[in-house]
Amino acid sequence: MSTALITNPGIASTIQDSGRHGVQHMGISPGGAMDPYALRLGQHLLHHTQDEAAIEIPLGVFSIRFSDHRRAVLTGAEAEVLIDGRPTPTHTPFDVRAGETVSIGRVTEGVYCYLHVSGGIETPRHFGSRSTSPRDGIGGLEGRTLQAGDCVPLGEAYTADGRPPVARAAAATPEILTLRFIPGFQIELFPPSAKQRLEQQIFSVSARANRMGVTLQGQPIETGLATLLSEATCAGAIQIPPDGQPIILLADRQTVGGYPKAGAVIQSDCARLAQARHGQNIRLTPCSLAEADRVRWLESNYEQERFR
Amino acid sequence: MELAVSSAGELGCRLVVTEAPSPALTRSLIAIRAACQTQFEEHIADAVVGYNTLTLFFHPPFEERDGVLGWINEFAARHFEDPESAQSVPGREVVLPVYYHPSVAPDLEWLAQEKALTVEALIQLHSEATYFAYATGFAPGFCYLGDVAAELSTPRLATPRRSVAAGSVAIADRQTAVYPCSSPGGWRLIGSCPEPLFALDRSPPNRLSVGDSVRFEPIDRARYTQLGGKL
Repeated sequence: MSTALITNPGIASTIQDSGRHGVQHMGISPGGAMDPYALRLGQHLLHHTQDEAAIEIPLGVFSIRFSDHRRAVLTGAEAEVLIDGRPTPTHTPFDVRAGETVSIGRVTEGVYCYLHVSGGIETPRHFGSRSTSPRDGIGGLEGRTLQAGDCVPLGEAYTADGRPPVARAAAATPEILTLRFIPGFQIELFPPSAKQRLEQQIFSVSARANRMGVTLQGQPIETGLATLLSEATCAGAIQIPPDGQPIILLADRQTVGGYPKAGAVIQSDCARLAQARHGQNIRLTPCSLAEADRVRWLESNYEQERFR
Repeated sequence: MELAVSSAGELGCRLVVTEAPSPALTRSLIAIRAACQTQFEEHIADAVVGYNTLTLFFHPPFEERDGVLGWINEFAARHFEDPESAQSVPGREVVLPVYYHPSVAPDLEWLAQEKALTVEALIQLHSEATYFAYATGFAPGFCYLGDVAAELSTPRLATPRRSVAAGSVAIADRQTAVYPCSSPGGWRLIGSCPEPLFALDRSPPNRLSVGDSVRFEPIDRARYTQLGGKL
């Protein structure tokens, strides 16, 4: 089996696909790409199916040497891509020959970039997914983040041309990123001042941001609620721990939690939050379930149009 | 008792029962989960029973949301009106071997001293009770078991240990559990279970599930190592 050698692993790169479904009742995190749109875009550009995995690289600075001829593409966050020192654009499939090294520079916009390689990544699936959940020790290579010297097994290389590039969907980072959330029933138990503070202030993305979740920094939200009995967490759940700084739970979240919750950020905004950098201004705004459904439907249709 | 069904994000819904956790309540939630899984079958992606909650996650598009929420509300209300209905849920009985010894349990002697018990008396108190599995979470295969005898109730460490060995049998407040894999942890460690609690090559991978009754059986060092326990 052909492999590619990791020569610089970056800070916490992992193998990711769309995640594990139906495993939360066993205490296993769903995992999966932090930016599912960037994952699907790469799959589309290389004619991959939606169950192929990519290497998710937070903040860039990564290099990998290939032992045979492949097509590859970098999607998601923007970074310089070099093939043995020759620059090549992101979001555009490129060829890499046996012995060549692809190097990805520091991310210049966004957080998570995705390196997709033709033939796909051939690590074993657990519960139908190749996603790595390092905290759970499941998936990827030995359930951990990639290390220098790792040999990533690749599927049979195929020769089909990559598709022509698709313009990036992500607009330039806005001054204030608005995250729409569906209010949960517990928010009705918050004092009005806490609810008001949650919906009206401008937060910023703190340094405490990773695959488990993103902590927002701002004037503390005092819910007046004690820790509750643990219950299952959903993607995008806005937890308010005792320090009053909201934590938005993402792919590698703990499967249950007992902090009071204001609601849940809608799926498409979770991907935007994942790509938001330290210091990004954030506003939380409530939205109805009907609106969440409409956004999901519109974005899925838009994606199908673009990927046609 | 009050019932409330609400959404949990755009693809989830949650039944909350305002009642103190009990094995009977958990059995009811398991029965309601089974009914939902029959009723909505392929639409359900996952169903998680918590202490007093049942959370269902649906595959997109979750178009019948209002109907689903209404059905669950109605079914749950009918279920709780009939006190017999939770009785039919079979719970497994699981016995886990435990080596209670300071060499594998850094808090065993400390806790005995703290509670003015001999180590033997502590072991007896922990192993004579039958525990109920209320919830899973924290880590794959981690199951929250209760209730620990009041005499053994102890708060978590102020600063969690960076690494707790896989198999560690632990107490926090009136709960007990076995750490399935090595992880950070703040519970007090009183023994070690040589049997794997979670194994990916097993189906299902979890040794324990919500609703199980669990007993701990003290074993000696020879039996512990024979069963694969690490010293």
